[in-house]
Amino acid sequence: MIWLTWRQHRKQALFALAGLAALAAFIVPTGLAMRDTFAELGLPDCVRTLGKLGPENNEACLTGYDQFISQYGAFLLVGILFLVLPLLVGLFWGAPLIAREVEQGTHRLVWTQGVSRHHWALVKFGLIGTGALIAAIGYGLGVGWWLGPLNQVGQGDRFDGFFFDMQGLVPVGYTLFAVALGVFAGTVWPRVLPAMAGTLVGFLGLRIGLAMLARPHYLPAETLTFPVMGTAVAPNATAGDWVIASGVRNAAGELVVDGGSIECPPNPTGPGANCGADLEAGTYNWQLYQPADRFWLFQGIETGIFVALAALLLYLAIRRIRRIA
Amino acid sequence: MDTALETDQLGKRYGDTWALRDCSLHLPAGRVAALVGPNGAGKSTLLHLAVGLLRPDAGTVRVAGVPPYDNTDVLSEIGFVAQETPLYPDFTAEELVTMGARLNRRRWDGTLARTRLAQLGIPPDKPVGKLSGGQRAQVALALALAKRPRLLLLDEPVASLDPLARREFLQALMGSVAESGTTVLLSSHLLADLERVCDYLIVLHAAQVKLVGPVEDLVAEHRQLVGPRHHGEPIRGVTEVVRASHTDRQSTLLVRTDGPVDPAWTVHEVTLEDVILAHLADGETQTSNEAWGVPA
Repeated sequence: MIWLTWRQHRKQALFALAGLAALAAFIVPTGLAMRDTFAELGLPDCVRTLGKLGPENNEACLTGYDQFISQYGAFLLVGILFLVLPLLVGLFWGAPLIAREVEQGTHRLVWTQGVSRHHWALVKFGLIGTGALIAAIGYGLGVGWWLGPLNQVGQGDRFDGFFFDMQGLVPVGYTLFAVALGVFAGTVWPRVLPAMAGTLVGFLGLRIGLAMLARPHYLPAETLTFPVMGTAVAPNATAGDWVIASGVRNAAGELVVDGGSIECPPNPTGPGANCGADLEAGTYNWQLYQPADRFWLFQGIETGIFVALAALLLYLAIRRIRRIA
Repeated sequence: MDTALETDQLGKRYGDTWALRDCSLHLPAGRVAALVGPNGAGKSTLLHLAVGLLRPDAGTVRVAGVPPYDNTDVLSEIGFVAQETPLYPDFTAEELVTMGARLNRRRWDGTLARTRLAQLGIPPDKPVGKLSGGQRAQVALALALAKRPRLLLLDEPVASLDPLARREFLQALMGSVAESGTTVLLSSHLLADLERVCDYLIVLHAAQVKLVGPVEDLVAEHRQLVGPRHHGEPIRGVTEVVRASHTDRQSTLLVRTDGPVDPAWTVHEVTLEDVILAHLADGETQTSNEAWGVPA
């Protein structure tokens, strides 16, 4: 069985290796260059101190950040392309696994030999799953390393949307889920193209749905309030918190500005002297956020959900295989 | 006599439609049996039940006394060539033989497969997807025979082959099973393909078994009678009227007999094809008239 699995899937394995090699060829040089610039601009020190001092104390750091972002910010867009990699594994490894056998009729050849289809399925799922796991770990760690400097300067906070999705543990969960969904789709629509289409729709639907609706609520969000006047306790934009909602509330707690904040320096003078003068007394800034130190916990929760779904889908696939003839 | 394959009240349903129903038959060991019936009669379903790809919804199927579904012990004793002889098109014949060895550790005769393929002039290093249909069928047969099966099942093995490849395939098949005493069941919607090679017949029609038995007996017990207009009264020596056609004065009957027939009738011998067609014609138009909503 192991020989057969290798013989059938070696092309896919080689494509995946070539893909990972191409990815490495891109992220290793650019990642090293980013790190060099990061160090030249003295940003590592800024990252260490900034969170504690508040941004207004560090003009040089902010200038450095801006310079870094203008130089490398475009890479964030390239990074978004990496989001499709787990889906590609699901489409090209998962979906054809059963669908192509049934489409070509070869399931009737291989399931009537001296190996039960249960055994066949376990070996195939095991080996393909292991391959996907190794590829996903390599991808998750690599992209996490690559994004490090960009995440640290507060552009593309690693807890936020896309950047959460493309690094750390979650790519492993997504990849295993995509493969399992592809396999399962192949048992529902035993043709390669419909199985791929089903995988595409199911994967995007669940990923987007969970990221938008469920992820902000994995743990109750923390609330931060700070006065309009004087920004001494204003949140540090580079701390890595995930801000879910923010606004300005009046003394009664009603939202008067949805999104954004109003921050006035203490005892303003000059052109901005009447900053905040038109606001009711007691108006304050309000922020709902997930603290940065929950990053790995959230990664673990999201990965756990997708791995559990993958296991469920593979179990259902094995049950359905028993009825394919 | 040993029974290679037996079914009892066997049924398989897809949704509300029975693909096979109340199928009871037994195939004695050592026979070469033809499974004949029009397309959609349930031939593939019966073979898939026999090779354990499908689980029965009703009744039982046994190969050498054991239900084959999910039973690798039985599976390693059955050779199966599925419809359109599916093979992994990017594998070479040599790789397929290796695959057989890996998947059939208990019993596998790789030498047999290689010898056969060499004799047939099939290249070992060319992907089988690039071989001709006849060559692919030969590779599939070689893989099935290398299991040294006690029961060999073939689903429409020659349907997609040209007449020359058909004859070569059947010759190769007969040559090898004659030596080994393997029981063979092969299906076709064309009797002409199988008439020369089979000594046992199973006729399926509209999900039901119409006729089972050794070819010699079937031919011997059926007769065509021609005589005066018949109105359904019993005829001496006739157990069953399979098919009747009438003109104003005369009736032509195809009947099953169990002794000398009433001398009022002229008795003709029949061919196997006559017998099968008579059994298939029975009931064929009734369902179709209903489906089209026209009177019979």
